[in-house]
Amino acid sequence: MKSYDLITPEGTRDLLFDECVARKNEEEKLRAMFTAHGYSEVITPALEFYDVFNMKARSFKQEDMYKLVDGKGRLMVMRPDSTMPIARIVATRLRDSAFPLKLFYSQNIYRCNPKMAGRDDEIMQSGIEIIGGDEKRSDLEALCLAAEVLNSCESTDVRFEIGDNTFYKYLLKKLELEDDEETVRLLIESKNTPELKIYIENNVKKDSPEKAKAAQILSELPTLFGGAEVFDRAEKLFGGTVLLDSLYELKETFRSLCKLESGDKITVDLGLVNKAEYYTGIIFRGYIEEYGQAVISGGRYDTLIGSFGAQDMPAVGFAANVNAIAAAYLRKNTQPLSKRADILVYAEDDSLIDGIRHCNSLAKSGVSAEFCACSSLEAAMQYAKANGIKHLEVVDCNAEEKIVKIGL
Amino acid sequence: MNDRKTIRIALTKGRLEKDTVGLFEKIGYDVSQLRDKGRRLILEIPGADIEVVLAKAADVITYVEHGVCDMGVVGKDTIDEHGGRFFEVCDLGFGRCRFALAGQKGFDFYKGCGVKTIATKYPNVTRRFFEAKGMDVDIVKIEGSVELAPLLSLSDGIVDIVETGTTLKENGLEVYEDVSPISARVIVNPVSMKLKKTAIENLIAEMEKNI
Repeated sequence: MKSYDLITPEGTRDLLFDECVARKNEEEKLRAMFTAHGYSEVITPALEFYDVFNMKARSFKQEDMYKLVDGKGRLMVMRPDSTMPIARIVATRLRDSAFPLKLFYSQNIYRCNPKMAGRDDEIMQSGIEIIGGDEKRSDLEALCLAAEVLNSCESTDVRFEIGDNTFYKYLLKKLELEDDEETVRLLIESKNTPELKIYIENNVKKDSPEKAKAAQILSELPTLFGGAEVFDRAEKLFGGTVLLDSLYELKETFRSLCKLESGDKITVDLGLVNKAEYYTGIIFRGYIEEYGQAVISGGRYDTLIGSFGAQDMPAVGFAANVNAIAAAYLRKNTQPLSKRADILVYAEDDSLIDGIRHCNSLAKSGVSAEFCACSSLEAAMQYAKANGIKHLEVVDCNAEEKIVKIGL
Repeated sequence: MNDRKTIRIALTKGRLEKDTVGLFEKIGYDVSQLRDKGRRLILEIPGADIEVVLAKAADVITYVEHGVCDMGVVGKDTIDEHGGRFFEVCDLGFGRCRFALAGQKGFDFYKGCGVKTIATKYPNVTRRFFEAKGMDVDIVKIEGSVELAPLLSLSDGIVDIVETGTTLKENGLEVYEDVSPISARVIVNPVSMKLKKTAIENLIAEMEKNI
């Protein structure tokens, strides 16, 4: 039988030294940021029941999840997302807590990606959720915190993008296209305007002026992205429909954000329609130039907690892809991050415990000291040289000078 | 994606490449490097801040998806088979053909209730087509001339790209049903689209104008 004991599964990797330090640094940076803003950390199990993720409002395809079976034959998954488990907690254990709740997490998620595409199947995500708060305030807080995370990324250029899928959902309903939702959604998500127009031409009955108007708006939705000018175009296009109110709200949010950040880094895309069953309002994303996909993704999901049997509760949150942020950092900074010990302590055969004691006292005083596991002084010197350790201290309790310092 | 303001566009080597270069020429770009490329794989359009990369069809998608190329020109056949996360913004109109279900002339493909076998170079397209019909089929992946499979009785039919239908006709095969139309498409990396919006939109507008 072929044995796979020397490699890791595709989409996963070992992180060594600098990679490891960079990942942990980014994670710690985000943790500090979230804690400083009053968020409390939660950890959820990596293994969850399949049912937690298997509902329409939860937007996960079964083929995208790693599955296994528990002792009783029940289907389980490696969590593909942290928001659903948190919604589960809020709907159960935290049901009676004092809302709004501000939670954050920092943990791996698992996605079964198409193979040979160079994508991570195991992704470290750090993110926040604001649950049960006033919508306007929560939206703005989540957006600003996400923008802060994005700005902390090591990148030559970043973009923060907001959208709102209320427009899309309204149009879909108006045009009675709900049964064919996925087709329409994919056309809009991939900004495939030519095919979207053909699709609308063939599938929409424009039997009333309202419907004709809605069809026109839907066909232009993918093109409504860019800077503040998008709002002018959209206002003209949406004129006379109920969509204007939501548009003005989004415009106000956009303006508030621009006050916080330089305006040219903030864009709007009314064609953001990912996870349409799940998001119920504002959607936002963060991009860095060094990574081909969004590094931050979030939005409002007011019906999710209700789908776990609790009352519907306004909620907004986002997740940041720590793998991608750390990788971007490493690409920019070639300086080594992981440090070897300052001092190597070599102890003679009958002074081993004295050597360890010396090491401990050095470490306590704030310098890093490594107890040498080599059996001769010569080997110890070679080891120090190979690892770039500049100081060697030799402990010998029988000698006149119990500790001899050697500079290398 | 490096720190670059140039737009890097990946072209599918071969006919789509020639047609796209023709389109660039029509726009008024200096395509001398592209015409006389030798064995080079990365080429420049002088004075236009455009870098052209030549790659195999499926690789165009991979490069664009990862953002190492901002844009790509690739056939809808490859997009349908390969999938991926990118924007598909423009139909260039050339490279027009179609996916079709074909087989031995005169054979009634949908007759009977046995599970049919389909030979194809495009298993994903084939699977989706029959899934939509709620029909179970066995799919056999073939790398070369798929037309052989029904002739040698390996399969009941094939799903393949049909342009004029000459190959089918010469081998005694016929189209049973069209699956989907194909033509060259412009795809764009989502992050590039946001970070280099003006430059990319201008290029697409130029291309659309000159189709």
